[in-house]
Amino acid sequence: MAKNLKATQEDKCNGCELCTLESQRQLKKVGLEESLIRIFKGESENSYQVEIDPRVSVLDIEKIKSICPKEVFEITEND
Amino acid sequence: MIDTKAKKILSIDLSRKQSETKSFADLNTFIGGIGLGLKLYETYKEENPLIFSIGPLNGYFPFVSKTCVLVNNDGVIEDIYIGGGLSLRMRFAGIDALVIYGRSEGETVLEIQNSQVNFLPLQEKINDLGLPGKKSILTFENDKIILDGYFTTPEDFLEQNLKERKVGGIVITGTEIFKPENFLEYEKIYNEILSRSEEMSVERGNYPSCSNCPMGCGKSKVGEIGGNVLIHSLVGCQFADKIYTDIGIVFSCLNVLGYEYTHEDIENLPGLIEKTLKNLS
Repeated sequence: MAKNLKATQEDKCNGCELCTLESQRQLKKVGLEESLIRIFKGESENSYQVEIDPRVSVLDIEKIKSICPKEVFEITEND
Repeated sequence: MIDTKAKKILSIDLSRKQSETKSFADLNTFIGGIGLGLKLYETYKEENPLIFSIGPLNGYFPFVSKTCVLVNNDGVIEDIYIGGGLSLRMRFAGIDALVIYGRSEGETVLEIQNSQVNFLPLQEKINDLGLPGKKSILTFENDKIILDGYFTTPEDFLEQNLKERKVGGIVITGTEIFKPENFLEYEKIYNEILSRSEEMSVERGNYPSCSNCPMGCGKSKVGEIGGNVLIHSLVGCQFADKIYTDIGIVFSCLNVLGYEYTHEDIENLPGLIEKTLKNLS
């Protein structure tokens, strides 16, 4: 079964971008360009949006999930 | 590629609406942040500059998330430190410092992408400028500077300075990618530092975090003013002082990125800064 990373608790995101930077490190790069996870500032002062490229599933998504300090992510399984 | 031999400076002349990027090898001994900023202040002294500077570890390691701002406040050079994502964007824009001088004719927004600068008239839709997910926005809200919609500065020095220059906002986007040569070692050190978050002298919170910091503390909103020379040259968070005053850690970080700083460079830094300050006074 394929595993997917989902931001099920997006409202808890604090914008630290550790997930973005971790996904980039797994691709052996440091930077924000062509990142498979992007964090956008939301409308209100404390809100953020998490955009996940489905191709992130080829990475170590358990590690990405665990690096998030706010437990924003869940890993789901598809048949 | 990481340029470990020189500092890349983007200078912006508001009066002429011109910008220039130059690399200076002789600035390397000033490391970054307050050290680099003061030396640049000395270089551009006649222009009464406003300087944003970062250090060699910004963008690469956790808890090194601040940006040093040097601003003239009635003849006194103030050093303030803003959190948020600005230092990360400056790193990925490939610039170590931003030097702004002169005064715009009309209210202006600076849109910066890597080394490119657009001088735009002040507009309401500043949030639409720059590239999503890769930008930081510094703008005014009720006469106070707001970075990334949340972070601000201690005192009002930066606000006054930008108003005098007729700069209504700065949007900076960084799209460069860096690949430390020994990537496995880089990742190892990164993870080691991140695992030391309990050594941070600040409580975890539910507030917006600076980029590359998991803490979400309530202290980062207003930034910092003054403090430890090494921390502020790197430009780390003052609450990460237990980590980044550990010289072994600092050298591990610098070395894995390819910097060839020596213990003497670190030891000489306070003296260099003192000498620069004397020259300025």
